[in-house]
Amino acid sequence: MSDKRTTHFGYREVDEDAKAGLVANVFHSVAGRYDLMNDLMSGGIHRIWKRFTIELSAVRTGQSVLDIAGGTGDLAAKFADIVGPTGRVVLADINESMLNVGRDKLLDHGYQGNLEFVQADAQYLPFPDDSFDCVSIAFGLRNVTDKALALRSMLRVLKPGGRLLVLEFSKPVNPLLEKAYDGYSFRVLPFMGRLVAGDSDSYQYLAESIRMHPDQDTLLGMLEDAGFVNCEYHNLTGGVVALHRGFKA
Amino acid sequence: MAPAGLDPTLTTAALAALEAALNRALALDPAGQRQLAGLAGRTFAIECTSPVVHVYLQPGAERTRLLGYYDGPVTTRVRGSAADFAQLAGASDPAATLINGNLVLQGDSAPLIELQGIIGRLDLDWEAPLVNVLGDVAGHQLAQFLRAGFSAGTAASSSLLRQLEEFIHEEARLTPPRLEVEDFYGDVQALQQRVERLQSRLERLRKRIRSAGQ
Ligand SMILES: C[S@@+](CC[C@H](N)C(=O)[O-])C[C@H]1O[C@@H](n2cnc3c(N)ncnc32)[C@H](O)[C@@H]1O
Repeated sequence: MSDKRTTHFGYREVDEDAKAGLVANVFHSVAGRYDLMNDLMSGGIHRIWKRFTIELSAVRTGQSVLDIAGGTGDLAAKFADIVGPTGRVVLADINESMLNVGRDKLLDHGYQGNLEFVQADAQYLPFPDDSFDCVSIAFGLRNVTDKALALRSMLRVLKPGGRLLVLEFSKPVNPLLEKAYDGYSFRVLPFMGRLVAGDSDSYQYLAESIRMHPDQDTLLGMLEDAGFVNCEYHNLTGGVVALHRGFKA
Repeated sequence: MAPAGLDPTLTTAALAALEAALNRALALDPAGQRQLAGLAGRTFAIECTSPVVHVYLQPGAERTRLLGYYDGPVTTRVRGSAADFAQLAGASDPAATLINGNLVLQGDSAPLIELQGIIGRLDLDWEAPLVNVLGDVAGHQLAQFLRAGFSAGTAASSSLLRQLEEFIHEEARLTPPRLEVEDFYGDVQALQQRVERLQSRLERLRKRIRSAGQ
């Protein structure tokens, strides 16, 4: 048996170091078209899921928020509106192309002053302990190689009493819905990916990574194992997506 | 707005649609908008106990937010059954009804009365955005409920409230609603077939281009 640590890249087994590079390729190749694909993929409903995430964050004026795997900045923009000029929002992403697209888009929309952009890996967050009132990660955790390591890192940078929100694809509660969703994500998505972003492999990976992601209760257990308290989750759209929340004691 | 078991996607979408309609109406009423901006920084909790519907309203200088879930500090909280809210809406003297009626009030009452005045005067179609999101029947009922709460003179009928309650229970039992799932499944199958047809057409085209190039 080989002692090289392996991990999942979609349905393929790859070694851990290779995964980060493969994930980076996926997002480099789709960065420019990411928003468009996002809307097409979910029929725009991801906006509603994100809105619910913002509500459960209970973020207020003057607070500090870290949005990890923030991509093109949907959540960060909303948070920046809410915390206002006395607050602070950090948009972090491991991928330079996504970060650049996000930065250009938000600066175009007049965001500046309370918004920072940081290239960072969720597993090794470059911030001091107890820095943020809220940490969010939307559709990002499934791409992270060592999720437990990332969750502990998020706990560390949260202030005591602060909250973590994880929005992620999950397991539909209804078998019929699950079947329909599989058909959609495995056959339709890669094809649309080829038409719109010129890249079906990336979307094939996205579909596979959705299936490999831990289900609701497994992820809840992972939050608890990492040291979060009062953990809970809400199923959205019948469990196609779930929002998990945990607090730092 | 979080009745136990109801898919938050639905309620969140309904509130997003209402919030957009409210802000559109405010944009056409600069005086109302200015007055509302004076209430910025406050959070009003409107909590209906039967049927269970919680809505939080946060006036802002530029935009007023409607939330279904909120656990920060609340300036004014008003709680009661839909019938109690209907009584307030129909009252000739809302202030007296607030104090003497069945509604339970916590916090400052003056801003609440001001808020009710501003929104009640708006030319606001509660119905269209809700109908779009929730489908005709449920949307119409929810709109009636909201109208009853904000515009004087319209009282929600008890049959309406019963229907709304039934709707919420029905929704809570089936998450997601079976019909919706079946529709979605049908759509996906149709889409799959179209994708397959398109793929084979592409393939044929590619072959033709290749043979033309030889
Ligand atoms: C599907 S996008 C989600 C973007 C955005 N949060 C949204 O909801 O639209 C996933 C993002 O995760 C980023 N990502 C992947 N692995 C990461 C890691 N280890 N640390 C930080 N970001 C990562 C990718 O670069 C990409 O921008």
